[in-house]
This record gives sequence, structure tokens and C-alpha cells, in this order.
Amino acid sequence: MMEFTQWIRERTDDQLGALVSARPELITPVPAHLEGLAARAGSPSAIGRALDRLDRFALAVVETLAVHPDELTRDSLRDLLARATEEDDLPLDDTLERLRALALVYGPDDALALAPGVRKVLDDPAGLGPPVTEVFRHHPPEQLEEIADDIAPGTEGGGKERLRAALAEPAKLVEEVSPPARKALEELAWGPPSGRVPNARRAVRLATARSPIEELLARGLLAATGEDSVALPREVGLYLREGRVHRDLSPVPPPLEGAERPGSLADRTAAGQAFTFTRAVEELCERWSLDAPGVLRTGGLGVRDLKRTATQLDLPEWAAALVIEMAHAAGLIAAGGNVDGEWLPTAGYDSWRVRATEERWVTLAVTWLHTDRVPGIVGERDERDRLLNALHPDLRRSSAPEVRQATLRVLATAPGLAPSRESVLRRLAWEQPRRRGALREQLTDFTLREAEQLGFTGLGVLSAHGRALLSGSKEAAAVLAPLLPEPVDHVLLQADLTAVAPGPLTSDLARWLTLAADVESTGGATVYRFGEGSIRRALDAGQGADELLSMLARHSATPVPQPLSYLVADVARRHGRMRVGTASAYIRSDDPSMLDQLMADRRAVPLRLRRLAPTVIASRASRASLVDSLRAMGFAPVAESLDGDVIITQLDTRRTEGVPVARTVSSFNGLDPDVVAAAVRAMRAGEARRGPVDAPDGAVPRGPATATISTLQEAIRQGVRVWIGYLDSQGNATSRILEPARMEGGYLTAYDETRAAVHRFALHRITGVSNLS
Amino acid sequence: MNDGPLIVQSDKTLLLEVDHERADECRKAIAPFAELERAPEHVHTYRVTPLALWNARAAGHDAEQVVDALIGFSRYPVPHALLVDVAETMARYGRLRLEKDPAHGLVLASTDRAVLEEVLRSRKIQPMLGERIGADAVAVHPSERGNIKQALLKLGWPAEDLAGYVDGEAHAIKLKQDGWALRPYQQEAADAFWHGGSGVVVLPCGAGKTIVGAAAMARAEATTLILVTNTVSAHQWKQELLKRTSLTEDEIGEYSGTKKEIRPVTIATYQVMTTKRKGVYAHLELFDARDWGLIVYDEVHLLPAPIFRMTADLQARRRVGLTATLVREDGREGDVFSLIGPKRYDAPWKEMENQGWIAPADCVEVRVTLSDEERLAYAMAESEERYRFAATTPSKTRVTEALVRRHLGEQVLVIGQYIDQLDELAEHLNAPVIKGETRIKERERLFQAFRDKELQVLVVSKVANFSIDLPEAAVAIQVSGTFGSRQEEAQRLGRVLRPKADGGGARFYTVVSRDTVDQEFAAHRQRFLAEQGYAYQIIDADDVHQ
Repeated sequence: MMEFTQWIRERTDDQLGALVSARPELITPVPAHLEGLAARAGSPSAIGRALDRLDRFALAVVETLAVHPDELTRDSLRDLLARATEEDDLPLDDTLERLRALALVYGPDDALALAPGVRKVLDDPAGLGPPVTEVFRHHPPEQLEEIADDIAPGTEGGGKERLRAALAEPAKLVEEVSPPARKALEELAWGPPSGRVPNARRAVRLATARSPIEELLARGLLAATGEDSVALPREVGLYLREGRVHRDLSPVPPPLEGAERPGSLADRTAAGQAFTFTRAVEELCERWSLDAPGVLRTGGLGVRDLKRTATQLDLPEWAAALVIEMAHAAGLIAAGGNVDGEWLPTAGYDSWRVRATEERWVTLAVTWLHTDRVPGIVGERDERDRLLNALHPDLRRSSAPEVRQATLRVLATAPGLAPSRESVLRRLAWEQPRRRGALREQLTDFTLREAEQLGFTGLGVLSAHGRALLSGSKEAAAVLAPLLPEPVDHVLLQADLTAVAPGPLTSDLARWLTLAADVESTGGATVYRFGEGSIRRALDAGQGADELLSMLARHSATPVPQPLSYLVADVARRHGRMRVGTASAYIRSDDPSMLDQLMADRRAVPLRLRRLAPTVIASRASRASLVDSLRAMGFAPVAESLDGDVIITQLDTRRTEGVPVARTVSSFNGLDPDVVAAAVRAMRAGEARRGPVDAPDGAVPRGPATATISTLQEAIRQGVRVWIGYLDSQGNATSRILEPARMEGGYLTAYDETRAAVHRFALHRITGVSNLS
Repeated sequence: MNDGPLIVQSDKTLLLEVDHERADECRKAIAPFAELERAPEHVHTYRVTPLALWNARAAGHDAEQVVDALIGFSRYPVPHALLVDVAETMARYGRLRLEKDPAHGLVLASTDRAVLEEVLRSRKIQPMLGERIGADAVAVHPSERGNIKQALLKLGWPAEDLAGYVDGEAHAIKLKQDGWALRPYQQEAADAFWHGGSGVVVLPCGAGKTIVGAAAMARAEATTLILVTNTVSAHQWKQELLKRTSLTEDEIGEYSGTKKEIRPVTIATYQVMTTKRKGVYAHLELFDARDWGLIVYDEVHLLPAPIFRMTADLQARRRVGLTATLVREDGREGDVFSLIGPKRYDAPWKEMENQGWIAPADCVEVRVTLSDEERLAYAMAESEERYRFAATTPSKTRVTEALVRRHLGEQVLVIGQYIDQLDELAEHLNAPVIKGETRIKERERLFQAFRDKELQVLVVSKVANFSIDLPEAAVAIQVSGTFGSRQEEAQRLGRVLRPKADGGGARFYTVVSRDTVDQEFAAHRQRFLAEQGYAYQIIDADDVHQ
């Protein structure tokens, strides 16, 4: 431990920065000093997480080191590894460098050592059992003596030592066993090193052994590790493996196999799907804003509502669930509405909707990359056999974002290739050998399927925009934009009273057409149908017949068909023969003179009153405000019930007040370099001082907020220490020495030398700042 | 950005921009696997359905061709899901086959054992099956040949029927090509049917489907049962067969409400076949009355459901369906596919028009305005009287007169439903009227005079619609009618109207009362005709008078 700590201390700042960037859990929270960092780097949980990130070969290097009790030289390590593979060219130096950077291996090439704690975390490294010293630890001394007598008669010393000596070179012992026992040994050699045997602790002697297992137990080639379990001692296993720690070790990742596709075709297909998906989300929100499905008591969406939505969106149910879940995770829909709860679009949807398609897609795609929601398990049952509905709170798996990103990164290594599912799984098994299992395999399947549906991939190939997004680049939208259909500003009008927009329309034209015609089909193009109803709707909205026709003529690539212009003229001819006004409220009174008085009142002007009849006045103001205003004017009006008298022509679109609850996991782009640097600096500083410093005496600095901020910015830039006055949470004025790291969102992150820790300081509570120099 | 003529919609419709320079090429590429739904002037709509894809498979196209066509012609990226769907759907056809086994008779065989196991587990399928023959085949009761195909289609595994046909009772039928010849596409259609064994021939209205039927009969040279929509159609078939083939009057029987003749070639109506007496179909024995070698279904898209059930038992006989469209309003396209057969021939409408085989008429709707008193009377009329009232308004007579004057010198037919109205019109136009009570002799005389152009205007009642010897005209004016089946009406129009010798199109006027139920009917017809590619125009009665 001391050596390791010393080694950590000797790392440069850059190396420490690389370490904590690669293992961010080491600085959450930031340790006070480097000794603390070393201790944390040796903790089982931190080591487990670091090992989880290793690929097959790097893990094999660690395992090989772990199997051998002493420090190894680089060359002997290479020899051991070379036995396990036919590859001549082992990337050992690079791998060792990587492992050192991760502080899993330390020491020079001629004395490579594992970081403390690694051995403990790796139980059964490379499938080898525990070493002799451990595996016989719980055996009673008499039993050890008996085994030693059987296998090493005439040797000196205690049973334990004799046994260890005998098993250190197990060749003779192994060669002596009977063929059935040998067969049992061979089976354990590469398989799991332990097995189940009833009453494993029984005392057996070689002379009385009745079965191969008893023989092996008597010879010490198997050891009881529990009442019913036995294990193969590591030394014996290594001998049976002929000194190899691994079998068929591949130092390079297995190749991806699959169909090759031209990248441009894949990009185009993916872009088409991205467009389709974005549109599906929009259609979902539009439909739900008019006809919101209820929230189940368990918090999800009913099965029937999902089916209905799938039919409406013309998608299979799993894809509809994906659309719904992504809209939810992106904060576009949330539970809200009336008492029972309904799924409604949020105000966020309104701002999302008006953005360009590519930006809308990026929002959804980033959400998908980061969310722990897993739409793929909709329809499955949880451990308590309850159905998992779409939008169900339990529809999440914490490993989902990581699996998605790992899977896509695999695709990213093979441009123009649509790798088969099996080869992706093989590659993932190589890249993260410690992270496997049925759930991960399932999540990988979901990822491949959903990536295609979202337009991340096209024909199974990672698209250019998907690649840009995956690498955290801000360019993804710009890459996608040229592949999307360009907005067109014209339609084709036909005699069957349809208008075909041969691409997405410019938003003004789209809005106008949605008013004057009904949408019949969507996709790359949109088909609109004109009818009496839709023309009337446009006229109702204040469009004149001439205006309609000139708008049509202006935006039509073909002449306006005669039946269409006739239809417009015909509807307009009858339109308005009855007059229906839009009034929000009315005033009626049996006393016309009172209404005369009201009409004459100057204060009534803002109410936009209109006398419809001697006893009726219509107003554009709402009933509530009308009543209030009339009262303010000294009248005593009474509100009347709505029964059929008031016409409201607006569609009842609604928005929830609720806040979207889906969360995303933000491990994606790693740590901010500023934070890393601050943490390293803090630990290094803590090392130098080992304890808090005292703030200078004298008056606490005071100054205007603007000066504070600019001084702090300057200090961050130059990396110098400052002295601040700070009101703590109890309101006490305190004095601190800080090394500021970054300023963001009203907070300063800095290493506080007076407390020897990294803290966040609310800027508004910093009373003043002064440079220490 | 690909600048193709095709746009793929999310509801699996394909929009084809017809003025695009690659439109023709594209049409040829997508026609095998997509059904033309609408053909207005600029953008045609095709629909990709599982059945259309299976039709394409039956015709020997594979998924790759379909995907290539979609990607190659599409202006925008084609959603991957659709491509996958296409490939999966097409792969389903032909996994199961109905075959004739020398030892076991009819068997259902498969190269894909998993699929076979899947369908064998279906409760609908099980009762139709006999013993299992090895791992990849199972016997099928011969009587269930049609039912199992229907059931398999419903399960999404359409079976390819390779079990062959019985020859039936031979009967010499030859085409009699004197003064006319089979058009190339008619020959191709008959050949395609014959090679496929059974199936449907899709030809646009006016393309001579009856002749294709006759050609099919000449290929089969066997006794033939022809099922047609109604008696008029039966008469038309008979006349056409007498004219085009070696068949004589004695060889052709009519099996309808009034006559029950069973002859080597028998023409039966759907109506008589679906007539029930005491809850059972009274005329089922017709199917077994002879050893039919060929069954012809006219207007397959109108084939009623009970006939489907009867057809299920006739799977060993050759069947040919004739229609202008595979789209059925009742959604039973699947039954046509499994019981009559896949699409065997489909002629591009536009191509036939370019070659001059068919000519759509110019349709003009003339709107007359009711006077104020008429409007009041109309508003008060009983709902069942409303149509008659709107259809027979006196304003129509004046407009009709003006139209006839406008086409002075051309052959004009005035068609109507209400006798009073027709009599009045005849009086005003000074033209003879043909109605139900007109004697055959007189009718023929007038028709002949019209044909000889001695008579230029003829007023006919609805009976004319059903009369085979109705002469052709350059102008037709419909003043009232039943707009029950718009499609049927359009077909009759196609029969009456022929392009004028000078190359100008024929004219079809419909006089409609504005703001009445008459106009509502017209709106439906307008949509249908426009979708069929007919030019359509609406004018006011005042414009005619000027």
C-alpha cells in the first residue's frame, strides 16, 4: 500500500488528470490528498468499476498478474500471455501503459505489481481456483496432516507447510491419479474451478477412497471450500493448463462481420428514418393534445391506448412505445391535466415543435442515448408479475445508456458495414468481458432495433449524423440537415380536389394548407384534400375567396383545376349568408335604456362591446372579466350559465403544468476538463499542506459583485489563489483561501484551502475577494 | 438528393409524379407490386399491400427488385421499416405449397419446417388436414383446397397452388377473327392467365375484357361457366360471344331469374346464384351440372361473398377473373387472391390510352339553380321525394335544350330516369324517346336511324343503360339517374362514348341541381371520375345559355 501511495504521489499532474478522467468515481467527492486518492483507488468498488471497463486482453494481463503471487517482469508476463494465443504481436506495452494510467498496475517493467485490492476483487481470475494457502485455510490441522501423510510421506514440518510444498509442484501428484480421477480434473481445468459435492468436508484417506472425487480430496488435488463445495487449487489448475492462464486469448478485438453498404445510401436511409421518427413524435403530441389518454393508477399508459396510438401512427407497438417513451423522456409529454391525470404535451413541446427538423431530431436522439428508460421491455412483466406498461415508472434499467453507447461505438468502428447481431455481441464480449449477461444482450438487441427506428443507423450502418452525435460533437444537426428533404414552397393541385406537397412544406404554407384542406396522408410528401368543410373552415378563419384562390395559384406548380376554383367560389357564394359572430360573452337586459347607458360609457371601450339587438350586447371579453369590469363600472351584473348561448370555435388543445419526470444519466461526455484539473490541483495542494490553512487575519474582503466575478474569472484563468469573504449557510461571515476552478450557473467551484476540500460557493454569498499575492 | 418521380408515404402509398421524365420507367417498375388507386392528372397514387406483393411474387418478381425499384425511383429516403416489411412479406409467399402427390392426393408441403409446424398448430387449419406425410408435408382433404388457401392467407402464409386442374368436358371454341383482331394486350392477358393456370386479369374500363374472356375460353376449349353481375351483362356477354367466337346460339345458355338454360357455355348472374330459398342457395347445383373446364368471373371486384364460398369448392377447375380494379369496397381482396388466383395481367392504363385503345371522356357538370319557390318546396319535401324533386326541376329542361343546340350536328344521347321528365324533354327537343314500354321493333328502328345519322338526338330512359345495342354517341347528357354504383355508371359511359373521328374527345354532361342532394351525389362522382383520370369541369347553367 505504501509503495502504491508513493507511486501515486510520483505521478505527474497530467497523469493524475488522466487517471481521474478515466475513473471519475475517484473524485466524487474529491479526496483531501493523494493518499486519500490512493486509498480510494484501492477500494473494491472502485477497482470493480475500473476492471469493468477493461477489454478482454487488458483484463487477461491483470488476471495473469493476479494469478502469479509475485511481481512479474514485463518479459515473463509476455511469455505467459504468449502461451495462450497464436498471435505473435501482443500489444503488451500499450496495454501496460493503459493499466498504469488507470492505476491498476504500477511499478517499473522489471517489477510489475497490481494495485492493492485488485487480487481480492478478482475471485477466480481466468477461471482458476484459490491458491493452496487459501483453499486449505479452514481445514482442521489433523486433516491437513493426513493429506500430507498420504501425498508426501516422510517430509518434515507441519501439515500445512508440507502440503504447500507438495502442491507447489503438482506434476508428480497429478500423474499418479487414477484415470477416472484424472478425467474429473481435466473437466475442472478450464471449466469453473469449483464443483458441488455432498458432504465435501468428510475426512477421506487415500487407502479408503471409494470414488474419483474422494481420491482427489485425499490427495489434496481438490479441497473442500464449504459443506457441499470443492475447488481446484490454483497451482493444480495451472499445471493442468500447462502453465497457460488463458486459452485462445485474442489480443485484438474480433472482427465485425456483416453486409457492406455504401455509406451514402445508409446516411440517406437513416436521414429518412430520422425525419419519419421526428414526425411521428410530433404527430403523437398533436393527437394527444386533442385526445389525451389517461394516466393509469400505476403511472403508465394503458395497453389499449398504446394499441390505439400504434394504429394511429401506423407503427408496430414496440416502435409506438419508443416514440411515446422518447417524447416523454425528452420532456415533450408529461402527466397532468384533470384530477385523474392525463398524458399531455408540455410547454416544452411548443418550443420543440417550432425548431428545425434536424434540431428536433438531435434532441430526441440525445435523449435516447442518455435515458435509462427502456421502451423495449414494454409488455414484459416485472418480478412481481405486474405488466410493464409504456410510461410505467419502473420501465428503466440503469445500464441502458451505457449499453447503447457501447453498442453504437462498436458500430462506429466499422464504417459502411452493417454488422450482424452476433458479431456485435462477440465484439462487446471482448470489449467488456466483465459486463455480460442476458439483460445486456437484450439491451443490445433493443439498441440495434431502436437505432434503426430513430435513424441513428440506416440499413444497419451507423450514419454520419449518428456518428457525430455519438462523439459528442455539436455538428450532428448540421450533418443531418442536408440529407433531410428540403422544404418546398409549392403543391400540385388536382381535379380530384387534392393537393400534393412533394416534400415538407415551408411552415407558413403548411399551416395555411392545414387550415384550408384536410391532411389525407403523410410521409415524404403530404396529401391534402379540399372539401366544402375545409374551404368553409378557411373562410371562417377570415380568408376571402379571392385570397384563397390567389394563394392557391401562387403556390401551385400547376394551374388551379377548374373544379377546385369552382368549389371555392361555390362555398364562398353561400358563406356568410348567415352571420355568426365570435363572442366570448354577452350581456342581456330587459331594460334597453340600461344597455344604452353602457354603450355610451367610455370605460366600456376596452370591452369591445357590440349591440346585436336592443336587449343584447356581445363582447369579446371573457365572461369573468366582463362581469368584473361591469362591476367596476357600478353595474350589478349576474353571470349566466353557458347553456348553448355562447359559441366558442377554438379547438380544445391543452398543455400540462406538470414537470417532465424522466431523468437522464449524464455519464456520457465524461468530466469537464476544468473539474479534473481542479481536483488534481486540490489533491496535490492537500498533499503539500496536509491540512487546512488558516485564513489571513484582518478584515474580510468586501467589494461589489461585478468586481468579485471579474477577479474570480481572472484567478481561474491564471490559476492563482484568492482570499474571499463568504457568508456560510448560517449567515456567518467567514474568510477562506480558495483556488478557483470554474464558475457556472451562479456557483464557483474551488479548492478551499481553509477547509482542505473542494466546495461549491454560491456567488451571491461571496462578500468580496482579493488577490493573495 | 435523388430527384426521382416517386414519393413513399408512411401509409405505404406511393405517389408518382406523372410529368416527371422518369415517370414511365417508374410506373413500369412499380406496377407489378403496387395497385393503382387513383390516377388524377398530376400525381398518381399506388398502394403497396401484402396482396400486391404476393401477386408480384406469383408473377416471378423478388423482393430485391421491389426494393431496388423503391430506392431507385424514390425522391426521398425510403423508410427502412418499409423495405424490411416488403422483404418479409414477400418471403412469406410460397413457403407453403399445395401439390398433387401420386400416393396421397392433395398435400400441403413446405421447405420451411417451422412455418409448416406453425400453421399446423392453427385450430382453423387442423380440421382440413389428413395424415402427416413425413416431416415436410401433410395431406389435405381435396374438398378443402379453397378453404385452406383462404385460411392460410389469413394466417399470413399464402400457399402457392401447384396442384393442377381437371380438364373438364372438352368443347370446341374458336375465336372468329373476321373484320377484327385480338389486340396485342388481350392476347398477352389470355396467355398470362393460361400459363398461370388461374388468376385475375386487370384491364381498364373499355379495354375489352369480354374479349379476353373469349380468348381464355378459346385457350381452354372446354365447357365454360360465366358468372356476371346482372342480366344485362349476361346479354352483352352472349352477344359478344356470338360475334367473336365460333359458338352458336344453341351452345350458349342463360341462367338467370327468367331462364334456366344449361348449355356447354352457360352465363349465370350473381343474383340468381345468391338467391336463397328456405335458407339454402337454390341454384348451387349449377356448379355440378356439368364438368366445367373453365369458370369466368366478370367484375371480380363486385363478386358477392356467397359466391366466394361456392368458389372454394371449385379449386380444381381453371378460373379467370376479369376486373378493372383489385380494390374491393368490402376489403375482401384476400379472398379473390386465394380463391380465384393471383393477378396474372395488368395493363398500364396510360399506355393503352396512348395507343388509342381507350379514350376517357370529358366530363362536364352543369349546375342549375332552383328558383326561390322551388327551394322552399325542396326544403319541405319528404326525404325520399327530395331526389326526384331535385332531379326533375324544369330548369334542367332549358339547360338541356341549350346543350343540344350547342352540339348541333353531333350525335347526342339524352339519358334520364323519370319518364315524365323524358317525355317533356322529347317534346321540347323534338326528338323520339325510348323507354321501357317502347316495342323492340320500334327501338331497333330508332337505334338504326341514330346510327345512320338520320336521327341526331335521341332521348332514352334507364333501359338504355342495360341495352347492348345502344348506339355510340359523341355527346351524352344525363339529366337524372341513380348514382348507386358510380363505377358501373362510368363503365357504361365508356361503352357509349367513343372518341370522335376528328380526334376530339367525347363529351358527357350531367345536369345537376345546385344545393340539393343531386349535387351531393355529383360530388362523389366527380371524385371518382377525376381519380379515374377523366377531365372534369363544373359550369353554371347561365354559361350554357350564353
